[in-house]
Amino acid sequence: MKKVVLFIVSVTVLFSNDLDYNASIVASYGDNYDFYSYSENRLDLNLFYKDIQAWIQYEYSNPPEVGFPINDIRKFRIEYEKDNFTLKLGDIYEIWGRGLAFNQIDDQTTNYDNGTRGLYFGYTNGGLSISHLNGNSDIWYFGNDLRVPYFKNSHSMYGNQAQYDWDIFSIGLTQLHSNETHQKYFGEAYVNHELKGIYGSMMLANADLFLEYVDKKSTEKENLFPGSPFDTLKNGYGVYGNLNIYLGNWGLTTEYKRYVFDRGHGDFTADEYGNRIGFQMMPTLGREQNTTLLGRVVHPYNYNDERGVQLSLTGPLPFGLTLLTQYAHLSRNDTWQSITTFDWENKHIDGFLPGSNESSLPFWENYQEISGFALDDNLYFRFGRGNNKDVMKTIRFFDGQGLSIKENWVYTDSVEWQDEWFYTDSSLIGIDTTKYKLESKMWQEVSSITYPFELSYSLNNGYSFKIGFEYQERKKKNVSMGNATTYNASDSSWTLVNPTNPDSFFVIYETQYTDWNSEKIKTQFNRMITFSLSKASKWSVTINHDQSNAFDGPKTVDPYYNPLEALIFGDLKYFTGNRNKSAPPLFIQQKWVSAELALNLSESQRLSIMYGSIQGGLYCSNGICRQIAPFNDGIKLTYSAIF
Amino acid sequence: MKNILIVTLLCFNVLLFAKENESGNLIPDLKIKLLNGKTTSIYDLLEDGPLMIDFWATWCKPCKLVMKHLDTYHQTYSENGFKVLMINQDTPRSIGKVKSFIRSKNHQFIVALDPNQKIAKKLNGLAMPTLILVAQDGTIKWRHQGYMPGEEVEIENQIKEILGLNTEAESKDS
Repeated sequence: MKKVVLFIVSVTVLFSNDLDYNASIVASYGDNYDFYSYSENRLDLNLFYKDIQAWIQYEYSNPPEVGFPINDIRKFRIEYEKDNFTLKLGDIYEIWGRGLAFNQIDDQTTNYDNGTRGLYFGYTNGGLSISHLNGNSDIWYFGNDLRVPYFKNSHSMYGNQAQYDWDIFSIGLTQLHSNETHQKYFGEAYVNHELKGIYGSMMLANADLFLEYVDKKSTEKENLFPGSPFDTLKNGYGVYGNLNIYLGNWGLTTEYKRYVFDRGHGDFTADEYGNRIGFQMMPTLGREQNTTLLGRVVHPYNYNDERGVQLSLTGPLPFGLTLLTQYAHLSRNDTWQSITTFDWENKHIDGFLPGSNESSLPFWENYQEISGFALDDNLYFRFGRGNNKDVMKTIRFFDGQGLSIKENWVYTDSVEWQDEWFYTDSSLIGIDTTKYKLESKMWQEVSSITYPFELSYSLNNGYSFKIGFEYQERKKKNVSMGNATTYNASDSSWTLVNPTNPDSFFVIYETQYTDWNSEKIKTQFNRMITFSLSKASKWSVTINHDQSNAFDGPKTVDPYYNPLEALIFGDLKYFTGNRNKSAPPLFIQQKWVSAELALNLSESQRLSIMYGSIQGGLYCSNGICRQIAPFNDGIKLTYSAIF
Repeated sequence: MKNILIVTLLCFNVLLFAKENESGNLIPDLKIKLLNGKTTSIYDLLEDGPLMIDFWATWCKPCKLVMKHLDTYHQTYSENGFKVLMINQDTPRSIGKVKSFIRSKNHQFIVALDPNQKIAKKLNGLAMPTLILVAQDGTIKWRHQGYMPGEEVEIENQIKEILGLNTEAESKDS
């Protein structure tokens, strides 16, 4: 300890004359009646001394909002850059191309960190740049717990990249090797991964093009005897292309992807490994939504098995308006047929484009937006419309032929008794088989349409206000269709709905939403209203009201009635003492109200205080999604500063 | 406890002994990858005059509001050697749309790409928008996080001040 202190003091005093620094602090605290409390504090310090740069991140979090409690130096890195050489030691974050082979991020919100603690060496000369890095990474994934990760994949890795830039062209080669200790539900697997990739780009005056391809091979050590070989586990590849075309101020962005690192008709679990590894953070080809309700209907992208296209057109309209339109269509790479309840058979989708068959889990997304300034640029408005349809999963999916068997018998012997004939023997003279169409399908699909609207007006005295409104209609249903239901294992056949008439086809839609009384409800209506008043450079107050009419899962009850809710809903009884606060009225249920005060303490210091409730749900960032638990009747404090 | 002491001591020493400068720290000379594919550095951009750095992304709403004003300042004060550098933090997920977005708005400022936040981390620009005003000698004169409508007045005042032009307040006094 004394040595460390002495070292720090010596270094800073010795080099103080040329030492520069910057720092940032983020401290957040939250507490609510659900005991969803957290205290998360991080200090980032950057030091610059001649050709040396250093970064230290210290974190004291007990517990953090997500992740493990920590009271330690979380990250550090020392960099030395001289002439054409760069050397880095510590926590490395690099990106190659568009990330098909390698893209490292540290996302606190989703608790996804795929950085490498190790060594980086880089050399540049003219248009040529080469780099090598190696080290160890622990990448954590969530299990059932929404706040603490459960699965750990440890990588001992090394990688090399070379890139050459020549005028409007650029080409790069990548290679990554990782020895992974993969945590399964029970036990571990030892997997080696080898990735080789190539990417290139071209920039013209009215167009630019980017292409990337990566090939991946994984092998597994089946037994732990020393010297035993690794067996081939899985092979895969990924392709991504991006062509932008510009005409005046209009720009058309087209993107294509095909990621085939594994194949599956459902979600991939921790027990399915040897496919895409945590360093591969690729373009998803869905719109990066920036409104709350649209953010809740985002598609759960599959990096292992997905192909798709995305088109986006942006350009100016008359009167200073800007138009944005976007379309995306994604699906798995195969269609799937359930031969029995548990046996599924895949068939590769022909061509390059994504499929529309429900068994390939297709996803469509469409978004249009007009935004602009008016009234001497004091008024900003944005109006959008987004709809999507997502087949989430298939429960069974058989489309084929059934066999109807009819036996033809004749009587071959008879006797007469008391003037009547009785048949005593019969014989099978033939069997008629008739083929008929057999269909047994069941899948779950979600569709929604959302209208986000935002308006902000700035007064000349520094005050401004903002009104935001979002309206969403959402449907989530199980669709069953065909002339058969479940698979009967005892006689190896699908169970016909009407065995005497195979032509009896049916279609059933079963909504998955329930209302407050646990009754099935067809459509979920969501509304979010935001009102914000701010004084430039000083403060802002925001009130947020989120409302839904249906539950997507178990019914949740808000057992606590707070004064903010009473104020927003104009409940005078609450303030006159005539309301039982421990028995909240029905009208506060399925509504989440919050108020936030943000103060600019100085140009570089901000304090934010939030009180109320926030609805939980799916949150996605960088293609990583996690379920966020609701925050009920609590307070959040966030202080941030940069120096 | 040991770690807290070490970090506290480190911060204290840095703040106490780091290069004293009346107006702020020197910005490091970081390499910047521009949207047009070329590479430059912060000090190359400072050759003609001061520089305003802003961190943004295509999905960041307040970034788009302040961007319009920054582009105006970039064009208005370009004769004084002033430039605006917009460092984009879109990830590979949306980086393909950056150029289309900039062209649709006809923005003239300089746009750089920082897809895995290397520069943002070194300049503490992870919150968006974060504005950093740098004098021609590399001294950081002003930092600001976030944007509320109306703050463009303060931003322009800071630019005028660093360019030695009369600010609004001084004009009123005189």
